[in-house]
Amino acid sequence: MDISRREFIRQALLLGSLGFSASALFSSTACGDKPASKPIPASTFTPTSAPSYTVEPTPTAEAAYLSVARGQSPTAMVQAAVDALGGIGRFVKPGDDVIVKPNMGTAYRTFEQATTTNPEVVAALVALCLSSGARRVRVMDYTCSGLQEDAHTHSGIAAAVLDAGGDMEVMSLMKFQKTSIPQGCDITVWPVYTDVLQADVLINVPIAKKHELAVLTLGMKNLMGLILDRHSFHENLGQRIADLNSLVRPNLTVIDAVRIRTSRHPFSDDLGEVELMNTIIASADIVAADSYAATLFGMTGADVPAIVAGSDMGLGIMNLDSIRIQEIEV
Amino acid sequence: MSFKAWRRLRRAVQILALVLFLYLLLGTTKGGSTLLPHDLFFRLDPLVGISAMLAGREWIAPLALGASTLLLVFFLGNVWCGWLCPMGTLLDWTPFYRLRRGRSEVSPSWGNVKYLFLFTILVAGALGSLIPLVLDPITILFRTFAGVVLPVLGSLTTAVNSALYRVELFQPVAEWSDNLLRGILPLNQAFVLQNLSILIVIIGVFTLNLVQPRFWCRYLCPLGAFLGLAARYPLLRYRVSGGDCIACGDCADVCPAGAIDSRREYAANSSRCNVCLACAQMCPTGAISFKWHRFHIPRIGRFPLRWAGDLLDKNRYDPSRRRALGLFGAAAVCALLLRYIPDISKRPRLPIRPPGVIEGEFLDKCIRCGECVKVCPTGGLQPSFLSAGLESLWTPELIPRIGYCDYSCNACGAVCPSRAIPSLSLEEKRNTSIGKAHIDEERCLPWSQGTDCMTCWELCPVPGGAIRLRRHGSEGGSGGSSSVLCPQMIEERCIGCGICENRCPVEGEAAIRVYAAGDEGVELV
Repeated sequence: MDISRREFIRQALLLGSLGFSASALFSSTACGDKPASKPIPASTFTPTSAPSYTVEPTPTAEAAYLSVARGQSPTAMVQAAVDALGGIGRFVKPGDDVIVKPNMGTAYRTFEQATTTNPEVVAALVALCLSSGARRVRVMDYTCSGLQEDAHTHSGIAAAVLDAGGDMEVMSLMKFQKTSIPQGCDITVWPVYTDVLQADVLINVPIAKKHELAVLTLGMKNLMGLILDRHSFHENLGQRIADLNSLVRPNLTVIDAVRIRTSRHPFSDDLGEVELMNTIIASADIVAADSYAATLFGMTGADVPAIVAGSDMGLGIMNLDSIRIQEIEV
Repeated sequence: MSFKAWRRLRRAVQILALVLFLYLLLGTTKGGSTLLPHDLFFRLDPLVGISAMLAGREWIAPLALGASTLLLVFFLGNVWCGWLCPMGTLLDWTPFYRLRRGRSEVSPSWGNVKYLFLFTILVAGALGSLIPLVLDPITILFRTFAGVVLPVLGSLTTAVNSALYRVELFQPVAEWSDNLLRGILPLNQAFVLQNLSILIVIIGVFTLNLVQPRFWCRYLCPLGAFLGLAARYPLLRYRVSGGDCIACGDCADVCPAGAIDSRREYAANSSRCNVCLACAQMCPTGAISFKWHRFHIPRIGRFPLRWAGDLLDKNRYDPSRRRALGLFGAAAVCALLLRYIPDISKRPRLPIRPPGVIEGEFLDKCIRCGECVKVCPTGGLQPSFLSAGLESLWTPELIPRIGYCDYSCNACGAVCPSRAIPSLSLEEKRNTSIGKAHIDEERCLPWSQGTDCMTCWELCPVPGGAIRLRRHGSEGGSGGSSSVLCPQMIEERCIGCGICENRCPVEGEAAIRVYAAGDEGVELV
């Protein structure tokens, strides 16, 4: 029977799209056999504006280069440590878009097992940033084992952050773009989370742990939560961590040493390997912060390849004798 | 109410049912909840219910809801096909036959095929096999969405969003789209090429619409056949008034089910009738109506020809008694073949099954619906193709390289409509082994090349870890020997989750692989 032109086009489109999808699927490549990180588009993403990591130099003679707070209350320790550096206003200006990057590397452990950052520490920082007039504070990390949403919950960080008025963000694969690392010695391009490069402020909140491959995982290594292709990153790990740090430069690093993990397994569940240190270390200089944190494990910065590489590249000061350290009992 | 209005109501109900189907499908996620049971359509499908209970030799209470569909159809005629079935609705909306000129004459004996399928399903079910149930339309639809459509859409949208995101102007659009779709589509699940086999069935179903409208429903659908049998003497029935009928034949032309027989004074076969009411709307004299009849089953053989609509349908479309017996016999043979031939053929490889599954019973219970595939948060559960034999076709298996079994998840057991995958608590699931990992020392970086790795050891989620590191000396290239930490399995702790295989940095086949328990093909340590 005759059909109208409109009807014909409609039917042909329907049938054609079925056929097209069938054939297109036959010729498409399956992305089924790669490990979890997806292939990244070929061309390199260059942020149009340079990362705005300007930190004012120590404004007054009283402000420390690196502060160490000890006490029972993580919130109080964080407050004291940041104040000793000159206050949160030095890092966060009104209207700033802030990203707080804790360690939420696994969804399978609770914070008592010292594999992820202490939620109180993260929440204290969120509250501080908001009090300094931040437009929004987002908390994120790209989980190694488990789903991000689960990591948010099981680490206890989501509850604490939402209470403090911050936002939890699930990092989207779409935003990992190949970015050039101009100062990189070992690597010159890597997929990095673009939001981090576009935010006004980045606050790095690692938990201090021993690590089989990296010796210690502290502030510099914590930034690995912002990249993809981590399995191939592990080659020449120390230098590559430093290279990453040359691109992503947090305004402030606050090392959670309330509990530290003393075995070399960063995701172990063994509570016997957790030591209660009740310490918070803070500095605008990530290399110095890491270097001090190494002393908590009976080591020095020179024992950790990433710290050495970072210092050699001029990313910060490894020698603790040359900087002004303030220790506070809370 | 005029028939035109009834038709409009029918269209609305069809849309509603389809939307509900899609809503429940999309809402089947780990940790998600839906207003109605997510497997509602499987519960309403009596063919799934009977087959699963027969084959599994177990009473499955939720699936008993299928009886209500049978009752509905018993009273109102086959309203499922015409008003509720999502496959039927989609077929109504793809009238490809209009692309062709002229009509096709399809031999009426094609109508036997759907009864063949139905009897094969039932006989096979009685013998303990659910292989032929893959022809059930609800499972076809769900499996197609879960295994192919949604992952492909997810991959496409991720690619599009990624491309948009790289242009600064479009970043807000890309972000908005990404956030919106994250809750709806499985953006993380990879599309697996072998799942295209699922598409073949549904492409076939829709392509047959080129021949006649609703070809699948008319000639092939076993659920339609089943419900048709129940709708043989409905209380609400088609009736044509002999006095008003002018024998124009429009009703027989327009009927999508071919239920009206021009040779029998336009009487309709209730088994085939979908209650779509097209005939009643079309009739120029209003001779056709749907009326309530008193409940009685006419005696076969002696029957006064009073109302054409009461005619016992011994027409050529539905099988006579002899034909029915013949079909039954053929179906029995098919079912026997399907049941026993896969058993005696050598199984290529044991698939890794979801936690709690006992392989021997699993194939008798799995309805190949794809619910678990949809819900798996890492996309590790995929429909099996031929790697584990025909009997395993489209049953779920874990492919660690695509997605690992999340240590914090027990969703697959929670969504399985036929309890083929038992519903385990998280605690139970964490103590259940689905396989064991084995290290291929010839591919493993520390073992074979002396380079540090430790990825598998680092990520193993079980308490204490199922992998240990041991120093192993290796010959250095320049003559010196160095030792490097190499992984070793602690077999008894391994639960086979596969995160080690998933994250192993070796390109191609991983250097640590999970094998199902009892797999003979393990050549490694």
